[in-house]
Amino acid sequence: MDQKTAGLNIAIFFCRQLDANQDKNRRAIEKELGLRIRFFPLPCSGRIELLHLLRAIEAGADVVYLVACPEGACRYREGNLRAKRRIMFAQKLIEEIGLEGARIEMVNKTAEMPADIGAIAMELLARDAKVSISPVRSNAVASFIEK
Amino acid sequence: MPPKYHIETSQAPNRFPKITRSGIIAWEEGCLKCARCVKKDCIYQVYEKRDLDDRQMLDSLDSACMDCFRCVQNCPNRLIHKGLNPAYRALGDHYWTPEIISELWFQAESGRIPVSGAGYGGPFSGPGFDAMWTDMSEIVRPTRDGIHGREYISTTVDIGRKAMALEFGPGGEIVSRTPPVVEIPLPVIFDMLPWAPPGDNIPLSFLYGALALGTFAIVRQSAINPIIREFLPYAIIYVDGDPGSLHAQMLRSLKIIEVPDGEDPIALQKRFKSMHPELVVMIRLRLSPGARERSLYLIEQGAEVLHLVADEYGLEGGSDPLFIKERMKDVHLHLVDRGVRDQVTLIGGGGIAMAEHMAKLIICGADALSIDIPLLVSMECRVCRRCKEGISCPVGLDDVDPLWGSLRIRNLMAAWHSQLLEILGAMGIREARRLRGEMGRAMFFEDLEKEIFATMGKRG
Repeated sequence: MDQKTAGLNIAIFFCRQLDANQDKNRRAIEKELGLRIRFFPLPCSGRIELLHLLRAIEAGADVVYLVACPEGACRYREGNLRAKRRIMFAQKLIEEIGLEGARIEMVNKTAEMPADIGAIAMELLARDAKVSISPVRSNAVASFIEK
Repeated sequence: MPPKYHIETSQAPNRFPKITRSGIIAWEEGCLKCARCVKKDCIYQVYEKRDLDDRQMLDSLDSACMDCFRCVQNCPNRLIHKGLNPAYRALGDHYWTPEIISELWFQAESGRIPVSGAGYGGPFSGPGFDAMWTDMSEIVRPTRDGIHGREYISTTVDIGRKAMALEFGPGGEIVSRTPPVVEIPLPVIFDMLPWAPPGDNIPLSFLYGALALGTFAIVRQSAINPIIREFLPYAIIYVDGDPGSLHAQMLRSLKIIEVPDGEDPIALQKRFKSMHPELVVMIRLRLSPGARERSLYLIEQGAEVLHLVADEYGLEGGSDPLFIKERMKDVHLHLVDRGVRDQVTLIGGGGIAMAEHMAKLIICGADALSIDIPLLVSMECRVCRRCKEGISCPVGLDDVDPLWGSLRIRNLMAAWHSQLLEILGAMGIREARRLRGEMGRAMFFEDLEKEIFATMGKRG
């Protein structure tokens, strides 16, 4: 079952440098999935912090993605490398509290992937669901769902 | 002398962290673990009070930072940077610029005039209203007690048809019938929005705001429901449905009604007047090259108020559209030429984004203005137009509290009112009514350019 049909809430953090027209390109999928998908553009993937990832999980996201530029192609040289280390640390942290590390994932854009963030999100949603609905969601502060 | 019109303001905090012009990027990796971190030395305690809004993942660091650059300069390993925020640049569009949006937010939050510091760093001239400069020759010294002091400047305007002469009976009594006129203390009415999230909360905010300010909000006839019905005395109903369904009792609770310019708006005006003679009827006319002739025709037929509307960018309809200020000048001067201008009230709307636009459009010939998008921006709208496409609003405008919304509108209008007083004071004008059509007290870039360069390049 893919992530879309599994009814998962998805949070996608992404580097703005990936898609200059990101605001327009993600509207179709936002319209289709409503509040089940949330996009958070970042000036650089290196701006991501543990707090962002954990807060998204806490607020009811089942899977959190960080979509970054290919390694070696960061506009700020090492933003995506720093982000990678933070993602690994966040995965370790949520595993310690009994959640699957796969709930947080970093995706480096490749040449084969589409250029617009909406299409990238569609590809991510079409992946097999490795996790089920988060146990945190029932206790979430409901901000992900309500807002 | 009547008491001064004063708008009470109070702080109305944002519901969401602001999108600021610049943001802090602080790398954690490479930290030298100094005994005394520069983050601890922040005099505004920005790092200590740090929070993350989980609805938008906006960091309080960015909005709380006061740009002192102390941490940026003092971090020994240069791990803290300030950079321009791309989310800020992405706000709005070419007309509703990030600067306009953020200034509207500031005014709605505080009710204060935005002050940018010493001097003006912007361009000398620009398109639209930026190609117009008002005469500030009366600024000879700082006033002793400012615009809220003893100087009395009235911003009141009248909406309705004006009698050109009075006729008296043998006993000296007035025998001519004076048409109904509605007085508003601020030359502004609230217009219908070109797009907005669904629900009653936004119209209700407008109506609460109109009630507090003593003005009116235009509401579509099709949007009237029992909640909106409670506010009819502060509403102008725009007839977008069957006029027959507006019964006399409802009309009697209204002061102004608006009809679209269709086949025969004057017949509709007469129909409403026969049911409620004290009702002022406004005709909504889309600005176009034909607006001057159409306005003249409607005035000759007995129109009381013409509401001339441009689109949200201030442009009229047609293939080569003029900006609202040019078309308003054109209509106003045409009516002056024909000697009918004083009989009618002209209200201009569309593309009004800043306080100065109020004064500028009045100088171009409008008696009053209608505003729309700035009211929505006052409630933190980002002019992303997602609601227009049926996508959920990023700042949840559909469930805004109408009382909070009206407070933000009141603050915004207070700031605009203060700026209008500043402009009027600086021009030496004591009444907004006197400002109308005062084109001699303004300079238009296009005219100046023509005047100076027209003869250049001509031989002989």
